[in-house]
Amino acid sequence: MLEIHNLSSGYGDAMVLRDFSCQIDTGKVTALMGRNGMGKTTLVKTIMGLIRAKSGRIMFDGTAIEKQPTHQISRNGMGYVPQGREIFADFTVTENLRLSLLGHEGGNVLTLQQIYDWFPILKERAEQRAGTFSGGQQQILAIARSLIGGPKMLLLDEPTEGIQPSIVHEIGVQLKRIAHETGLSILIVEQNVDMVRTLADEVLFMENGAIQERCDINAMRDDDSLLHRYLSV
Amino acid sequence: MSEFIPIILDVSSYILILVLVALGLMIVFGMMGVINMAHGELFMIGAYVMVAAQSVGLPFLAGVILAPIVVGFLGLLIETALIRHIYLRPLDTILATWGLSIALKQLVVLTFGPESHSVPLPIDGSLELGTFSYPLYRLILMATSVLLIGGTFWLFTRTNFGLMARAVIARPDTAATLGIDTRRMYRWSFVIGTALAGLAGALVAPIISVDPQMGLGYLVPGFLSILVGGAGPLAGVLVGGTVIGGVNNLLAIWISPVAAMITVYIIAILIIRLKPEGLMGGRRAK
Repeated sequence: MLEIHNLSSGYGDAMVLRDFSCQIDTGKVTALMGRNGMGKTTLVKTIMGLIRAKSGRIMFDGTAIEKQPTHQISRNGMGYVPQGREIFADFTVTENLRLSLLGHEGGNVLTLQQIYDWFPILKERAEQRAGTFSGGQQQILAIARSLIGGPKMLLLDEPTEGIQPSIVHEIGVQLKRIAHETGLSILIVEQNVDMVRTLADEVLFMENGAIQERCDINAMRDDDSLLHRYLSV
Repeated sequence: MSEFIPIILDVSSYILILVLVALGLMIVFGMMGVINMAHGELFMIGAYVMVAAQSVGLPFLAGVILAPIVVGFLGLLIETALIRHIYLRPLDTILATWGLSIALKQLVVLTFGPESHSVPLPIDGSLELGTFSYPLYRLILMATSVLLIGGTFWLFTRTNFGLMARAVIARPDTAATLGIDTRRMYRWSFVIGTALAGLAGALVAPIISVDPQMGLGYLVPGFLSILVGGAGPLAGVLVGGTVIGGVNNLLAIWISPVAAMITVYIIAILIIRLKPEGLMGGRRAK
């Protein structure tokens, strides 16, 4: 579904990804793990069109997206939850969600009710300003905001960063449920091993701008030598 | 007391027009980081559309409708040919739009000549209340300005377009990841900003002398209003316009226009020094 061929990308002249290739399967949750500075965020930002690919090809659902503008990639069904959440602090919960509905007008969007069923906290606080939320609640809103646009694939960049463990687990369980219910594909960049164990079906380990290893989540549960090697945990 | 009322009304009408001009500037600057030096010329062209409309025998109202359409269309051309290529590069936009302002001024000189034109008042009467008398058109102009300012606020705070525009101002990249076409938002906001300037020019034409230099007289206080008020929230323009327009006008009447300008600049410098964010805050660091 998402195929990346010989992708080179980075900031200015500094290439972070060189000739990067990988394939992310449909209907699965794939976790991308690796130490800081290995190019994980660069990869998701390049997929999303926020950083322009210098060369190579990104095929999403049969379409080459590497030259498309970001909003078009989003409308093609690529959801994105950025690192640091980036919710609109001055907007209410409903306004944050409505924004995504407006961006995907005419597309395969979900209803507010569907979102509220998944995340009841958002219904309770529908008219509250998002800036008054805790980190965990903001993360839930950022995920919901992306889901309401009806994405086929969701990119999550370090969703657990700065969030208390109980909410991390809750988010992981809920996302797993949504992925199974709807067939949503997820690519999650994550350093939090608990989150990956809760959510992922498959794990990719990234180092020096390339995928070094790929394993099934059950294999990782039995043997954590890969975690030691690529995360020094 | 009654001698103060006309002064207060004069000052208020100046403030309202200033806010109307500054609103267009602020939309374009706050949203796209474009410092549009040609904004005053777009205001001037709005007034000339009125002059042209009247010279071919069209009624005043036709000029009021035509000015924002013509100037808005000009804005669309400017956006497509020039501004689109320099978004979020304030220094480049200053240079490019400054050049544009000179070109527009010359174009008007070539078409209409360098001399000033006057537009007759569409409504001659005055409002008489005892000893107090005030031109009716100025009162209508003030009411119209209040409606336009209110309408712009409504557009940006209560509509879907406004929600998307505010999102693009706050976090352009995030808005794009939610499917919002930021370029399109930039384009239409720019057109709205220029159309507002054109409309303001047409409305003001009957009470000032219309000449190719008239833009600058509103551009400078317009920018000062934004700097003093703060570019983020729309309310900043209201506060900034009131401070700059009020001080400028009152002192010009009571002392002299030169003293008024000096005082305005001193106040602006003090406010910017003490509150770099502007009185209402919200200017983004770029």
